[in-house]
Amino acid sequence: MIKIKVKCFSQVKYALGVDEFVIELNAGTSASELEQKIRSEAGGKLDGISLRIAVNQKYMPNNIELNDGDEVAFIPPVQGG
Amino acid sequence: MILTPKELFERQSEFTVIDVRPKSQQNEFPMDGIDAIISKEGLIQKIEGKKVLVCQFGIVTEGMIIEQNLKDTFSLLGGAQAWIEFQSEKEDLSQWSRQTVLPEFGLEGQKKLLNASVAIVGLGGLGCPVSQSLVAAGIGKLILIDGDHVELSNLHRQPLHGMNDIGKKKVHSAKKSLTHINSITHIECVEDYIDESNGLGIIQKCDIVIDATDNIQTRQLIDQISKQSNVPMIYGGLYRWEGQVAVLNVNGSPGYKELFPDPPSGEETCADAGVLGMLPGIIGNIQALEAIKIIVGIKPDLMGKLLIYDGKNHSTQIINI
Repeated sequence: MIKIKVKCFSQVKYALGVDEFVIELNAGTSASELEQKIRSEAGGKLDGISLRIAVNQKYMPNNIELNDGDEVAFIPPVQGG
Repeated sequence: MILTPKELFERQSEFTVIDVRPKSQQNEFPMDGIDAIISKEGLIQKIEGKKVLVCQFGIVTEGMIIEQNLKDTFSLLGGAQAWIEFQSEKEDLSQWSRQTVLPEFGLEGQKKLLNASVAIVGLGGLGCPVSQSLVAAGIGKLILIDGDHVELSNLHRQPLHGMNDIGKKKVHSAKKSLTHINSITHIECVEDYIDESNGLGIIQKCDIVIDATDNIQTRQLIDQISKQSNVPMIYGGLYRWEGQVAVLNVNGSPGYKELFPDPPSGEETCADAGVLGMLPGIIGNIQALEAIKIIVGIKPDLMGKLLIYDGKNHSTQIINI
């Protein structure tokens, strides 16, 4: 198992009701698999919203394999201005 | 009390000018074109009539006048630095002495700013603070682009517009307020929304384009034009308590397409999601700060990075794009 710190921004924060949390995952889990968990946890509130994924404060492709201790951020685009 | 170099030049017969700088500074930066006497212990109090005190940047002397309660005494705004500039270039930059004193900025930075032009797309929550700060800082030219009208619900976060402006085009209302702050800036208004037909012609004339819009489609269009014209784009976006800023397309650095490649979907605007007026104030000022860094030649720290600021807990996160 690996421990991942998840940071939530904008709509993700409101959909899940938290700023950040720690989750335990099977070794070999990818960022996109974590994204699917987050989306199902959000119960449809993130439907239609694209998310960028940053691992350890750097944008990464969604299929990147996560490592123990990684910090994963989910960042949606925002409209307001 | 303060006196600008221009005022001193025009009225020098009225004043005794006293140079309070250390000898080394007087030798290194001589004040040509004016007879200044060198300050000695107790001298200032002995001289009768109106006096002007000069230090290097005009900050020490302002403090001296207050601390020593000196009567009939003025501080030269911008100090010897501003006087020397005025003598050589006939240009009075003392208005900006508090920023030209910054070693990274200096008079050269101010001159670059006075010669720079910036396009601001959107004169709403972000466009108001961006334009306000750039005009106050002495930007040479602004092109304001927005087809929208002022509404009552805008006023809590768009302080360039007031009750009497409701129904007017935002660009005209903004221009009127900005001219009160600093009439030196040349302000051009484009009272239309930016689109594919007008965008390139406007943006390619500028040094920087500020994205202060409220929708992703326009951000994508500005990004395309910014890439095409090699004019850097400074992105700002808001969602409730959170704001985002990034400096994009600087000589091939990542753009909005690299930041958020997907087409727009179900994201909410400020009108849908809600926002406090202070958040665009903060985010817009960060955009203006990054614009000034590019113009002056200071590396913009947010180039190729996304800053996310949370106004609820004041946390910031910087993501490498």
